[in-house]
Amino acid sequence: MTPSPPAFKALQVLIVEDEPLLAMDVEMMVEEAGHSVVGEAASLYEVEAMETEPAPDLALVDMQLARGTNGLDVSKLIQDRWPSAVIVFVTANPKKIPDDFSGAHGVIAKPFSRSGFLSALNYLGEGIADPPPASSQPSSFVAAPAVREIWSVRSQMDR
Amino acid sequence: MSQKDDWHLTEILDYEHGRGDPFAAAVRATRMAMVITDPAQPDNPIVFCNEAFQHLTGYDREDIVGRNCRFLQGVDTDEASIAKIRAAIRAEESIHIDLLNYRKDGSTFWNALFLSPVRGESGDVQFFFASQLDVTDRVMAQETIAAQKAAVDSEVKRRTADLEKALEAKTLLLHEVDHRVKNNLTMIGALLRLQVRAIDDADIRVKLETMMERIDALATVHRRLYQADDVTRFDVAAFAANLASDVIGASGRSNIRLKCDIEPIEVRSEHASALGLILNEVLTNAIKHGLRENRAGSVSIIATRDGEEATLSIEDDGVGLIMDPASSGLGHALIKRLSPQSGTTVAWDRLPTGTRVTLRIPEMEQTS
Repeated sequence: MTPSPPAFKALQVLIVEDEPLLAMDVEMMVEEAGHSVVGEAASLYEVEAMETEPAPDLALVDMQLARGTNGLDVSKLIQDRWPSAVIVFVTANPKKIPDDFSGAHGVIAKPFSRSGFLSALNYLGEGIADPPPASSQPSSFVAAPAVREIWSVRSQMDR
Repeated sequence: MSQKDDWHLTEILDYEHGRGDPFAAAVRATRMAMVITDPAQPDNPIVFCNEAFQHLTGYDREDIVGRNCRFLQGVDTDEASIAKIRAAIRAEESIHIDLLNYRKDGSTFWNALFLSPVRGESGDVQFFFASQLDVTDRVMAQETIAAQKAAVDSEVKRRTADLEKALEAKTLLLHEVDHRVKNNLTMIGALLRLQVRAIDDADIRVKLETMMERIDALATVHRRLYQADDVTRFDVAAFAANLASDVIGASGRSNIRLKCDIEPIEVRSEHASALGLILNEVLTNAIKHGLRENRAGSVSIIATRDGEEATLSIEDDGVGLIMDPASSGLGHALIKRLSPQSGTTVAWDRLPTGTRVTLRIPEMEQTS
């Protein structure tokens, strides 16, 4: 992979996904993009049981999780525990996310493509390291309204 | 002359009382049942009834005169209607109302009752005059219609409930299928990506990556369709722009500039997958091969419409590589085999620097 733009920062990523194959796939793409995975969980209980250190910069959260738990509750827990973490839902049912995202920052809809996922990750990486992101928002990522206001400043350029 | 003063009409005739009185004769002989009651006597009894009234009710005059009209009422007579009549008499007002009455033999008839006070010179009520018309046929017809309407209403209600239940079952099934399609596409993508990483042979890996990109293009088409407001249409121009920006964004290459100048080009969604795959071949050819080996450059996507045909052109300023029509590559075969179903033609042009691919897509008919 080619060297990334100057704003690059290796992110600590938390993956909350109950489908093991997909969790493995996401983990590998995250690492491929130069970031590292600080933890993986399949349910709310597993997130609760995690060490509080190190704090993740980015949490990728599926909506429908194991043991009857869901991404919205995980999102609330993450907001309590790691207030600085950027939370992105990764789901096949984006319509189930409340309009205000309940404090989360955006969504990547399934099924995603490798390139769609990686460009969303690049965009998030830029936004976390040095907001707003230098790239325009990829179609694979939809920002929460509050985030869109802050980040969309530069994204109207030459799409 | 107002209706209120119409008593003058009978006054202007010169007539004798008794036998020669034409109005009394008319009342006696008319086929409309009529009675006159006297409110000055206790319980407002009938003081006169005509033959038609006797005929209608089956009672003789001796049975009738001296009794209050309520002897025509029975168990099924509506209490509220009776109360209305009483109120009208008390208020000395006229009233007309349909009432179920009983004959002497116990049979019933619907009585269109008209009752009105008769005032003397002083304005005091002297008598009440009432006429009765048998409207059983009309009331029965109304009841039959009401009963039929109620039967139809309840049938409609039952069928609607059945249909709603069936719709609910189908909606549940649709959600289940939709969820499975999305999850399966996600899993297929994940499996391919996992496999690609596990392959050491560079040639095989490139081939598998190409296959992964095709599956990804299909997944992207599906995602755009289910997120769209109208699942019957698919905007190929927006899809091309997004696919290009994803491919460039994912490559991490900052030396490729994407320029888009697009109008929406909508096709029927049945053509979405085929056109998605074609565009995937064209775009990956431009980005991965035209601008190969980290060559700096730009990709332009221009979409225009002229009413009958839309044109989508994808231009790169790379090495000017044209997909060889004679090549046996799957990419070329896909484009050749998939384009005719939507009536699309694909033309390749070598530019002074780079390549231009032009897709001509028939405009979607608006009514279908």
